[in-house]
Amino acid sequence: MDFYFGLVQIIGVHTLLGLSAYIVLLTGQVSLAQAGFFAVGAYAAGMLTVLAGWHLVPALGASAVCGAGVACAVGFPALRVKGLMLVIATLAFGEGVRLFFFNFDYQIAKGEIKVGPLGGEGFRQIRFFPENGWTTGEVMVFIWSIVAAAMALLWWFDRSRYGSVLRAVGEDELAAQSVGINLTAVKVSAMTVGGAIAGVGGGLYAHYTTHIEHASFNILLATFAIAYPIVGGLRNVFGTVLAVIFVQGFLIEGLRFLGDWRNLLFGALIVLAMNLRPSGFLGARRRA
Amino acid sequence: MLDFLQAVSDGVLFGATYALIGIGFTLVFGVMHKINMAYAAASIGGAYAGLLVLKVMAAAPPALVFLGAFAAGGLLGWMVYLTCFHFIPLSSPLATLMSTVGMLLLIDEVIVHVTQGMPQSYPAMFDDVMLRAGEFTLRGDLLLVFGVAVVCMAALMLLLYRTRLGLATRAVSQQPVAARLCGIRLEQVNATTFVVTGLLGGIAGALIGASVGTLSPLLTTPLTVKGLIVTVIGGLGSIPGAIVAGLLVGGFENVFQLYRGVTERDLYVMLLLFVFLVFRPGGIFAAKSGGD
Repeated sequence: MDFYFGLVQIIGVHTLLGLSAYIVLLTGQVSLAQAGFFAVGAYAAGMLTVLAGWHLVPALGASAVCGAGVACAVGFPALRVKGLMLVIATLAFGEGVRLFFFNFDYQIAKGEIKVGPLGGEGFRQIRFFPENGWTTGEVMVFIWSIVAAAMALLWWFDRSRYGSVLRAVGEDELAAQSVGINLTAVKVSAMTVGGAIAGVGGGLYAHYTTHIEHASFNILLATFAIAYPIVGGLRNVFGTVLAVIFVQGFLIEGLRFLGDWRNLLFGALIVLAMNLRPSGFLGARRRA
Repeated sequence: MLDFLQAVSDGVLFGATYALIGIGFTLVFGVMHKINMAYAAASIGGAYAGLLVLKVMAAAPPALVFLGAFAAGGLLGWMVYLTCFHFIPLSSPLATLMSTVGMLLLIDEVIVHVTQGMPQSYPAMFDDVMLRAGEFTLRGDLLLVFGVAVVCMAALMLLLYRTRLGLATRAVSQQPVAARLCGIRLEQVNATTFVVTGLLGGIAGALIGASVGTLSPLLTTPLTVKGLIVTVIGGLGSIPGAIVAGLLVGGFENVFQLYRGVTERDLYVMLLLFVFLVFRPGGIFAAKSGGD
């Protein structure tokens, strides 16, 4: 049973990652930086609970703030360029974050052992859940209540004036600008909200795996982040959740029996899917 | 001071390979207004395929391996075009982005699968030659890298500006519809662009393998990122820009490798990109607006 609980936890965390890319994608921007915000959140929350001894909930709040702050800071220079240039800028940023944590050492002695991030070795012993006696089931419920909150927030955004503004910018920047929408403010705010959600997701990820290292936050994770909303379509948040369940539940776990060949199949499946359905699985219909 | 000069000159010589990769990204962008994310991976893949020459003929000279990589790179470029671009409508930019990222992952995994993830040693030429001027040295293999890259760039320029094919390519990059009305076959030009960039990529991959000494699948992501950074710094779609930016990035990263170590140097390259994004988002030689 624990295996399935673990899988549901993974799906929850990846849903947060997908949702963070979803809101940025609503404004028509493709960001490969979400894995970077995810990494920032993971390290921030891990350091706060392990080194500073915080409780997990305020630590997750802090990682949301860190993710949002970094996203806002990156958003200003990166969003000066658009389209494919933005893809490149955010890709470089994501790699930059990964390299930063590859070089990041901050260890303090705690009892017998030293804990904290140690460059290429990664950050071990993030043991908030076992130390406080949370069972896998409780962790799963905790993660999914946060996912539900994030989904409710984005759902509410979609219904509100703010959501219409986001979609207006995504549909046609020029038209949006001509009715008085401040493009920079809208794009940077979407990026900031996305950064906060990715930060929380990263914080949760750090705590359920108990060990994070720079290599996990690579280009593959960034690709996953934008693949979820693209595959699921942009009509509403449930598309993203379905895409995460499909990718993590079926493609990753369901094909585990293929062993080594699974990784080969994964890239080939993306290529094939894009050839067959260039505009996503659920979001094929667009208001013309 | 001497260390600094040495680092700059070594870096600029090696930067010629970044310039080649940057040209590949920029050419495809110029012709199709698309980014081929799989390009750097295909280049490394071409270099790996060049090693097959050694499998067939154990005593083959390195030049034959380079030729093999050159040819394999072109073939891979054509395959990337067929699988990631040909059947996908031009109007969906996200789809080709995703398909080429998928191709990047696929090529990476094929390499890992075939080589069991072990780095492969790569034959070098002139690696025992050293030009000396007092304490200052120029490595023979790096000079070769630079020389071959310059020859490739010159050949590319000749192709673009002195042949009918180059004329067609430039026409498509300026006005695809008008070019089509003049009887230029768009698909053919696009496919040829991929083959040409693939050939350049294959030789760039082989040069990287030869000057580093080994090839490993770990090279693909940094090379993708650096090639793209070179493209942005040079200005999307600008070939001279890609050349200058490639040499600049090469020199820059080697200086930081000297002072800050090999694990940190790439961080500063990313910072360089952001400096350009803030102060000169169009790149060194911003292409005249008209496209994106």
